[in-house]
Amino acid sequence: MDVTAIIASAYRFFEERRGLLYSVTALLVLIGLLASTNIRTEENIEAMLPDGSSRIVGDFRLLQQAPFARKVIITLQAEGETGIDSLTAAADRLAVSLDPALFKDVTTGPDTHMHGRLLVWIEEALPSILNADDLEIIAADLAGDGVPRRLGESYELLLGPEGWAMKDMIRRDPFSLYKMGLEKLRHVNLVPQMKLVDNHFVSADGKSVMLIAETPVKMTDSAGSRNLVTAFNKAVKTEIPVGMRATMVSGHQYTLANAEAVKGDLWRILTASTLAILALFVVFMRSLRASLVFLLPLAVICIAAVAVSLFFPMVSALTIGFGGVLLGITVDYGIHVYFAMRRGDALSHVMAGRVARPVIFGGLTTLAAFAVLLFSDLPGTRQIAVFSIAGICTALLLSLLVLPHLMVPAKESENDAAGNRWMSWIGRRRCLVLAVWIFLVVLCGWQAAYLKFNGDLRHMSLVPPELAADEKNLRTTWGDFRGQAMIWIESPDAEQAFALNGRLFSFLRKELSSPFVTLAPLLPSDEEQRANRTRWSDFWQGKKGQRILADLRVQAAAMGFSANAFTPFENALHGPLKPVTLKGIQEAGLGRLAESLVMIQDGKTSLLTLAPDQQGLPELVEKQFSDGVRVVSQSRFRREISDAIGDDFLRFFLLSLVTVGLFLVILFRWSRKALVAAAPALTGVVMMMGIMGALGLELNIFNVVAGILVVGLGIDYGIFMVCMLTGKVDHSTSKAVLVSGLTTLAGFGSLVLARHPALHSIGLSVLLGIGGAIITALLVVPALLNDKMEPEQG
Amino acid sequence: MKKPFLVSLLLAGWFVSTGTLPAIAGDDEVLGRLQRLSSGIETLSSEFVQEKYLSVFKDMVVSRGRFCFKKPDTLRWELTKPVATGFVLKGKEGRRWHERTGLNEKFDINREPVIRIVAQQLMAWTRADFDRLRKEYRIAVISENPVTLRLDPLFGTGGFLDHLRIAFSEDGRHVKIVELREKDGDFTRIRFENTLVNQSLPDGLF
Repeated sequence: MDVTAIIASAYRFFEERRGLLYSVTALLVLIGLLASTNIRTEENIEAMLPDGSSRIVGDFRLLQQAPFARKVIITLQAEGETGIDSLTAAADRLAVSLDPALFKDVTTGPDTHMHGRLLVWIEEALPSILNADDLEIIAADLAGDGVPRRLGESYELLLGPEGWAMKDMIRRDPFSLYKMGLEKLRHVNLVPQMKLVDNHFVSADGKSVMLIAETPVKMTDSAGSRNLVTAFNKAVKTEIPVGMRATMVSGHQYTLANAEAVKGDLWRILTASTLAILALFVVFMRSLRASLVFLLPLAVICIAAVAVSLFFPMVSALTIGFGGVLLGITVDYGIHVYFAMRRGDALSHVMAGRVARPVIFGGLTTLAAFAVLLFSDLPGTRQIAVFSIAGICTALLLSLLVLPHLMVPAKESENDAAGNRWMSWIGRRRCLVLAVWIFLVVLCGWQAAYLKFNGDLRHMSLVPPELAADEKNLRTTWGDFRGQAMIWIESPDAEQAFALNGRLFSFLRKELSSPFVTLAPLLPSDEEQRANRTRWSDFWQGKKGQRILADLRVQAAAMGFSANAFTPFENALHGPLKPVTLKGIQEAGLGRLAESLVMIQDGKTSLLTLAPDQQGLPELVEKQFSDGVRVVSQSRFRREISDAIGDDFLRFFLLSLVTVGLFLVILFRWSRKALVAAAPALTGVVMMMGIMGALGLELNIFNVVAGILVVGLGIDYGIFMVCMLTGKVDHSTSKAVLVSGLTTLAGFGSLVLARHPALHSIGLSVLLGIGGAIITALLVVPALLNDKMEPEQG
Repeated sequence: MKKPFLVSLLLAGWFVSTGTLPAIAGDDEVLGRLQRLSSGIETLSSEFVQEKYLSVFKDMVVSRGRFCFKKPDTLRWELTKPVATGFVLKGKEGRRWHERTGLNEKFDINREPVIRIVAQQLMAWTRADFDRLRKEYRIAVISENPVTLRLDPLFGTGGFLDHLRIAFSEDGRHVKIVELREKDGDFTRIRFENTLVNQSLPDGLF
């Protein structure tokens, strides 16, 4: 029993049980609709990262831990002659007025009490952090007249106004050794072009102030992002006077800009596509029942989404988006059934059975194409596969089992006459049609060679010019502190991690000319600290140290210092020397900084170094440190993820083509018909790529997804036309192909009007690809099969 | 027994009330008077002698210098002996020098927190800007003739400073003595001498 007989039998079976059929169908669609509203979707790119423990996944995880990855950066900039005082005051006002529910821990500068605590901490830390080289510098500085010189400076300092607050410090450190510790703080400046003014983060040119905030709003939450941006704008409006400009840079603005762009695009696209579909409806269908055909994809998408949620705990929003595009194919099955049933030239079950064969052929071919995606490394792609397979199966079942019962036959004999005239017109101009087709395919194939693939994920989203300008301004004002390469050291053994961090610091100091950020000079490993303390004690108890101390006593007395003036200094040299700890650094006022550069989680210590993301750095570091050191370069990550996604989609696009080809061979045996059936799909793809190449456009991931749609629909057109021309189905098929093609152009081609790059790309591909496929199906396929045409049956 | 007890309580109450309430009103009145007198100051120049009574020194250390002020926000503070060093401040822009080291450089007051605090204090004392000083100190009048004030830091963040003692001239127009009393008993006394009010100051001074 072939599919024709099965569907015909099924029609007869349900003919007497239509109430039951409609009820069950309505119930299923309703359940799908309700269940789909409860599906948890995630809008992050994680679903598009390869499985397993690949470097990309690891890099992605580590990139999330970058110091500014989840922060909102606000820059307050002076326009004209606004002074720094006004700027810092405005920054303070802005910090207070930002909604605390959306902006948490807004900071305009370091911990206010940091300065006092930090200097004391540095003094105490010196024995643990100063190494052999540093002691050599001290010895050289205090040789000769070094002691009276330094002591004289301290004496003069005590007489001046600064001396009012520095007396105790001078007693503990008469030689100002703390300056060597301050020098080591240079390596913990996260923002290169920042200085501290009045305890505020101020740019090097003194014209900008920075505010840093945390936010509970997820980067992918478009509604939350809107609230965040609105709250920011409101606070700016009330607190920032004329002559200043406040800009906010965070991932949320991209989310919002994209959501707004899509929203703005929707009315334009919906208006255009609705008008176009309405026109098609009036011209070709003119029946209320035809509207049921257009409801088919809606039911299919809901049921497919539910099917995906059964297999995956979290459904990617990309799956719904991409899958929704791909399921544009399903409307065609309904259109073919509609035209076949409207023909009314036979009993309904016969008509239903007759159209079943090409519809199932088309459906199975497309299924095969999508099934290949199940083997992708990207979970998101596998979700798309499940979504599409479930959707196509549902569409086939609804189109062949339910829809025929809803259609009323209507004799449309004029179609046959028009169809025959069309075929004979092509028959007379067969050579011309084929010549033009070959010329266009060769021309487009040639131009397609110039088409380049751009897998950069940033091209997937819209970047408004003002946001790009703000990003650029941020980099110019503060340096590229968010784009630095991260060098991670991870180890379950904290001591080992800190030791490695020290070696990495020494290596980078030799290799890099530009500054880099690390906690290594301030927090050496325990072993190194012990060695430093031993050297420190040995130094001061040794010949050089003793000479310096003796000199100090003599010179101090000569200058008029009291006998016990520097007792605190000498006591500290001989007293117990404290190790430097992470807790101590945090208590000294460097807590936020330490949290950014040291992470201790699940018994694992992770230490971060930030270095300029310059070419060759990852390879250089990885070559030197084969184990325990991992370089996460943002530029390399972008390249690799783009390559991974691009390769995956391109690979499966090609595999889909091969699978579809194999299916055609199985369906039509090894015959010319298989090749001819493939012609619309292949021509569509070649024209899409060729015209894009000729226009100097780049192929992106959305074009590839749309390419799969072109292949799926093009193959369907080919199968239907071949079936029609070889007498398997009637002439209404050519009209169905034309209408389904035009419907796709109206529905998806209108996306070309979108401002959003992703939607625009899909629209452009569909317009070019489906346009080429329709023309090929209606003109070239009949021309290719002219000699095989069988007379119209009945 | 009951009556004398009651009387003594009332008397005590009267003393308490007359001893405190008029004093608060008096402080405000005195401070207001000083503020009015100082408001007429356009320029001020004065020599000063700084005496450091610090445990870090064997003996009291004397240094001499000069202080000049010009409304609204220009000042010069310099030591002339035993070391020649000082700074000039015009609004937010400053210049400092040190004769021995040869240092002579401009600076941004916002990047020099210590000098900024010192300058703010000097200007507040000179202008008798009690509105500002009240934000940082509890001010009490400890003597009215001549006026002497005691300023205790309001917050526990006073650091080394225990309190300030500021004595004004007989006519109340300018500061005569400032004492910075530290928590460890050390103190610095600055005596202003030959003070000239509203005399023209050479431009080169700033």
